[in-house]
Amino acid sequence: MASAANPTFQYDVSEASGVKVANREVGGATGTLALVAKAGSRYQPFPGFSDALEKFAFKTTLKRSALRITREVELLGGEISASHSRENVVLRAKFLSGDLPYFTELLAEVASSTKFADHELSEVVSDLLKLKQQAVYSNPESVAVDAAHGVAFHRGLGSAQTPSQSTPYEKYVSGDALAQFAQDAYAKSNVALVATGPNSADVTKWVGQFFKDLPAGATSGQYKVQPTQASKYYGGEQRIPSKAGNSVVIAFPGSSAFGTAGFKAEASVLAALLGGESTIKWTPGFSLLSQATKGFNHINISTKNLAYSDAGLFTVTLSGQADQIAAASKNVVDVLKKAAAGEVASEDIKKAIALAKFRALESLQTLDTGLEATGSGLVHGSKPYQIGEIAQAVEKVSEQQVKETAKSFLSGKATLISVGDVHQLPYAEDIGLTV
Amino acid sequence: MSAPSIANYIVKRPWLKRWMTPLANWYTDAAGYRKLGLKFDDLIPEESENVQKAIKRLPAKEAYDRVFRIRRAFQCSISHTLLPANEQIKPEEDVEYLSPIIRAVEQEAKERAELETLTLRK
Repeated sequence: MASAANPTFQYDVSEASGVKVANREVGGATGTLALVAKAGSRYQPFPGFSDALEKFAFKTTLKRSALRITREVELLGGEISASHSRENVVLRAKFLSGDLPYFTELLAEVASSTKFADHELSEVVSDLLKLKQQAVYSNPESVAVDAAHGVAFHRGLGSAQTPSQSTPYEKYVSGDALAQFAQDAYAKSNVALVATGPNSADVTKWVGQFFKDLPAGATSGQYKVQPTQASKYYGGEQRIPSKAGNSVVIAFPGSSAFGTAGFKAEASVLAALLGGESTIKWTPGFSLLSQATKGFNHINISTKNLAYSDAGLFTVTLSGQADQIAAASKNVVDVLKKAAAGEVASEDIKKAIALAKFRALESLQTLDTGLEATGSGLVHGSKPYQIGEIAQAVEKVSEQQVKETAKSFLSGKATLISVGDVHQLPYAEDIGLTV
Repeated sequence: MSAPSIANYIVKRPWLKRWMTPLANWYTDAAGYRKLGLKFDDLIPEESENVQKAIKRLPAKEAYDRVFRIRRAFQCSISHTLLPANEQIKPEEDVEYLSPIIRAVEQEAKERAELETLTLRK
């Protein structure tokens, strides 16, 4: 465990003016600063709010216009972006080390004094939102994964990450409503700042100075960030006709994020074991699904454990030609039955454990995923990631645990989503799943 | 937006403003647009990019009322009549509703032009 012993890999966690700050000193020529707010689609009061909040990032504030922000960032040679997931809205800035104060101030300004002008909503933001909808809903796989969350968790985690084109979200979204939502979303207790690169003392100093004016707490009214309700798994089946392509998602209750009560390392090992995607060129790889579906050339299969703060969704996604998906989805269930019966070579489980460990550690080390994961851990009140513990937890997984997990998937209620040519795509009963 | 104005010069000098205010009120009333049910901002020429943009930014209710006032004035003009006294725009109703938006749009255009012609000295 060389990486665990490396001190620069840990985040220093502190607090400045009531805002949680995590920093990883790397000491390079550039730095990254991200603001993670617990305001993703799970916590939005009405559909489309998280999307609109994300698109309103770096727009006109009370002090500067959107154009001026853009031009200034261009002159400094930085990069700013915003995104949102089911749980978080993330504002990111990458910059040359010397520009830390400027970008800290910029993030603070965006969080505390964005104008949310109605004309900006209608002239810029709503168009961006429509393009995002088009992008998301022209991809059958993302439609299926989104629907799987909806069927599995109903409200909360189940609410669509981006509202579909037929969702009447426009009647809820307005400048005033968003301003109220933002006040609560960017409240001190609701955000965390995660930095990599700069000196910890500098980060705490500048954050303390600029984030003083962040709204302190919850406002009243209907546009508040919704309180966390424990996610409950329901399961079921949904069929969505679409001309965009075909996709089937088979989902089961998975493991929640590391550091939370519902964390089960065996789910990530089972995901690596089932697999479907090869990690090495020119070979189908060792994973059970890629072995079982060797004959199908026109489909992609992947297995993932999507982890959230209090629940997880274990998904097997098949996309491609409808007839091949229909045939291959039977193989998926057969492979799962084999895993449940323990008919898996222990060598394969060893490989899966190694891959699961690599994936967990890599996702924390990669900037894109690591920043959000760390910030999300801070705002959701679980402990920050400890690399060593994750690696240990994954290593400790036994064959028996993997077998038990697969068994529990088959005995419980599954989630099956078919998107595309539903005339050909299978029903749960056809492939031997109970929903 | 329109022709050069000495309004600022007058407003800055209280004594002159006191003198001019009754005169201005008389003049505005005599201009007669209020008798056709219009506000001063309805008279701003629409044929410019900035004003078009500002009109698009009006809140729905304001935009509707504006069109209503203009159509009503058009009818009055065709039929060579004035509105009955109770329907005419009263001086306190004749407020700027469009000009602030036009000024904001102009400010944006100016800022854009400035930033576009920026020269950087290091």
